[in-house]
Amino acid sequence: MGILLFISVLLVAACGLIYELVAGTLASYLVGDSVFQFSTVIGTYLFAMGIGSALSRYIHRGLVHRFVWIELLLGVVGGFSSALLMLAFAFTQGFELILYALVMVMGILVGLEIPLLMRIVKDRYHFRDVIAHVLTFDYLGALGASLLFPILLVPRLGLVRSAMLFGLINAAVALWSTFLFASQLTRPRGLRAACFVVLCGLGAGIAEARYITSTAEDNIYADEIIFARDTHYQHLVLTRFKDDLRLFLNSHLQFSSRDEYRYHEALVHPGLAAVPAPRHVLILGGGDGLAVREILKYPQVESITLVDLDPEMTKLFSSHPMLTKLNDKSLLSARVQVINADAFPWVDSNPDRFDFIVVDFPDPTNYSLGKLYTVAFYRAVARHLSTQGFLVVQSTSPMFARDSFWCIAQTLKQAGLQTYPYHVYVPSFGEWGFVLAGMRDYAPPAQFPAGLRFISKDGLSALFQFPPDMSPLSMPANELNNQVLVRTYENDWKDISH
Amino acid sequence: MKLGRRKFLETGGAALVGLSLKSERRIEGSFVNDSFQMGHFLRDRVSFPPAKRIEKFPVVIVGGGIAGLSAAWRLRKRGFTDFVLLEMNSRPGGNARWGENEFTAYPWAAHYVPIPGPKATYVRELFEDLGVLKNGQWEERYLAFAPQERLFLYGRWQDGIEPAVGLTQKDREQFQRLENLFSGFRKGGSFTIPLELGRSSKDEALDRISFANWLRDQGFDSRLLLWYMNYACRDDYGALTADTSAWAGIHYFSSREPEEKGPLTWPEGNGWITRRLLERVGQNMRTNQMVHRVTPTPRGVSVFAGDTEFRAEFLIFAAPTFLSPYLFENFPHLRDFVYSPWLTANLTLERYPESRGAEPSWDTVVLDSPTLGYVDAMHQSLRTHLDRTVWTFYWALAEGSPAQTRQLLLDKDWSYWKEAILRDLERVHRDIRQCVSRMDIMRMGHAMVRPAVGSVFSEERRHIRTFHDRVLFANSDLSGISIFEEAQYHGVEAAQRVLARLGGKL
Repeated sequence: MGILLFISVLLVAACGLIYELVAGTLASYLVGDSVFQFSTVIGTYLFAMGIGSALSRYIHRGLVHRFVWIELLLGVVGGFSSALLMLAFAFTQGFELILYALVMVMGILVGLEIPLLMRIVKDRYHFRDVIAHVLTFDYLGALGASLLFPILLVPRLGLVRSAMLFGLINAAVALWSTFLFASQLTRPRGLRAACFVVLCGLGAGIAEARYITSTAEDNIYADEIIFARDTHYQHLVLTRFKDDLRLFLNSHLQFSSRDEYRYHEALVHPGLAAVPAPRHVLILGGGDGLAVREILKYPQVESITLVDLDPEMTKLFSSHPMLTKLNDKSLLSARVQVINADAFPWVDSNPDRFDFIVVDFPDPTNYSLGKLYTVAFYRAVARHLSTQGFLVVQSTSPMFARDSFWCIAQTLKQAGLQTYPYHVYVPSFGEWGFVLAGMRDYAPPAQFPAGLRFISKDGLSALFQFPPDMSPLSMPANELNNQVLVRTYENDWKDISH
Repeated sequence: MKLGRRKFLETGGAALVGLSLKSERRIEGSFVNDSFQMGHFLRDRVSFPPAKRIEKFPVVIVGGGIAGLSAAWRLRKRGFTDFVLLEMNSRPGGNARWGENEFTAYPWAAHYVPIPGPKATYVRELFEDLGVLKNGQWEERYLAFAPQERLFLYGRWQDGIEPAVGLTQKDREQFQRLENLFSGFRKGGSFTIPLELGRSSKDEALDRISFANWLRDQGFDSRLLLWYMNYACRDDYGALTADTSAWAGIHYFSSREPEEKGPLTWPEGNGWITRRLLERVGQNMRTNQMVHRVTPTPRGVSVFAGDTEFRAEFLIFAAPTFLSPYLFENFPHLRDFVYSPWLTANLTLERYPESRGAEPSWDTVVLDSPTLGYVDAMHQSLRTHLDRTVWTFYWALAEGSPAQTRQLLLDKDWSYWKEAILRDLERVHRDIRQCVSRMDIMRMGHAMVRPAVGSVFSEERRHIRTFHDRVLFANSDLSGISIFEEAQYHGVEAAQRVLARLGGKL
């Protein structure tokens, strides 16, 4: 009987640690700040265990009976703790309160277990053996749990089902105890029935866990979200703070939902509104669909071709409710064709002509991206431009990266285009620049689509004026064989950050 | 399977602490394009079958490398199409051969052409033909993209191959002084490409000493400077400075303007030029035609290849000149034609390896490596996202005599070279073995002519051209250095001379 007894100690200890880890991990996931969450959860848990141990002295009779009940209770509370916390986070304001209350309850119950067990077996062994054996298996169980949790349980089962599995183990230990200590029980049958009920409940819970998670997760994302994914091409992170949604690609901010309308209106309208009867528009980059949203405001535009490298990016912005709300489901419009391809080879191989072309790539932070800011690239893009058409290039900040901005303008000139640089203020970015280019003179548009929040006829001319601190600099053109822009850009931002 | 306890502890313990052997990717590959066998048939004077057929052409070109293809290009460009070009291998190109796999083309030998100077008029004409030079502008897509070259030294990368990191005052002073000397030679105007247009007997003394001795005599002893000079000679001539004529060493640095643009390159290296030339002259070419004998006839020569006798009025012999004694009767024994053995390997990489933080470059060199480093075939890709690639790894076997290293090339198996190459790359790419899925290796016993001491002003070289009135030699080895521009020059010149003589008759 000895070894069986001590195995139950081991299992009980493992369960106790798993609940603690589940609580700490969930709190870190949902609220963030893992150091704080783990510290406070562990502290509270250990303190509650102390309370449990202290309380154990008030239990005088029916030790086995009470032990079985404690195990069952712990099985239920611990087993459902994870699901309960997820739902609490999703549907209530009081996540922290419920978290610490739950941790207290579980801690007290776990604190009661070992003292009671020791007293149950005290007459069968020497005191010093009881202490030695029980504590040995207690710590062994803890070790096992702490290894299983990150390696097997979380990746394979997830948090909800892991907790339930260990709830099941608690209940199993309870059932088992009714046989192990049958001699010390008066009415084991009633206890066993209770054990069956709890076991069935937890079993059903495991089967239905997926439903619980998806219910909870939907609500978590609607409330506060940290979305991160390593796609084949880039590291994509979406953050939300209050009503501000931000997209980061490889740690570079792409937009903030609070002021992106300034950026995207400025990117599209000064050029597109100046093209007479634009029918076909091309966007290179811009997988977020925000420039598309602006272009769709022109009813005469029949087709919009969007070429973006990353299918996960365009998929995300076609399907995620918060993002489709932001881009007005622009990527789902019948007028839009999304092509996931590398821009330069696509531009080289496609024969079509467009009346307006938006070139909206991430800043030239490396040599790979730098290829998309070269004379060769702009020449290839310009071949797609109809005679009356314009193209516009996002050209980084003329304030923080003044050399880079004027380098891009010079590169477009070198590609044989007339250039019309302009700039806007986007609070989350700072002063930002664009270069409009074409094969003809630019005249400010007679009118803009209705309902714009930033671009207006009256304000337009100011955008094309550069104050002395952003005024033109003489820069060399960026070519594939020199990539001066990448180095210039690096120096520009180095100057700012020092 | 039953594990003994001891075994279990060993493997389990090792696995736990991460000491178990990393599983290595299996690397496929073999020797490719071997031409030893055919060469040795000639050397050993194996008897070839008698000719069964006779074909007649006014002009026969032997050798489908850059020289032969350029001769053909000139003939066709002048409207002359009645000729045949015989190539020994199944694939033409010679030292401008290329290979292809499912995602990229890659070079097997020469992989770039420096921006041609004003004297290289034939090269400029060709590049205008091929759309490389348009209205005086070099096509941006054909110039090597940045970052171009990098050197690994003292545990870090630097831009460019000329050492610029960790130089002492003395090193710097010597680099500067040497550059001043080269600059003087450059201004003198006798170190030109093509070499023939400038070479002057006033510099003949420089051909009588080795480049190593010349450097020593000029007082150069900076370790980094001497490494760089050695690298340059290994790279262009397959020889150490000690085995290179000082004239040729100086020519390397003094024949071209320091050019900020360039060089010109393509994924398949100079194979791109071969392909463009083949588009223009391919219909005149026959591959797998090993010429085994050339005999004089009353009105020209007969060229025997396979079971065919090609009767020609003129022969443009663009194959390496060292083959001549085995093909022509009464051909003088050659002393001044020394060739360097080389090895190139093409490595297919499933991903780019870790590179100590650096972005991939076009050309990568490691200080003090016995090899020449490698070139990345995907570097000229216009894509922003790259995963798989092919690296062409170059190794001029410059140490020891060419005969010894040729024997080494024959003796060692593929695995030996594969390991040597991986170890060399491991110096800078720790996880290279996890990235390479295939390595094909090409061994070349006579890869390029070596400008050994005395070879540039060699009498023998001049005499060869007068060997037979109807045979025009055109290989780049006539110049004593094996570069694209020389090959093209001799090919075009030979074609023009043939045209002039035929023209008188037509």
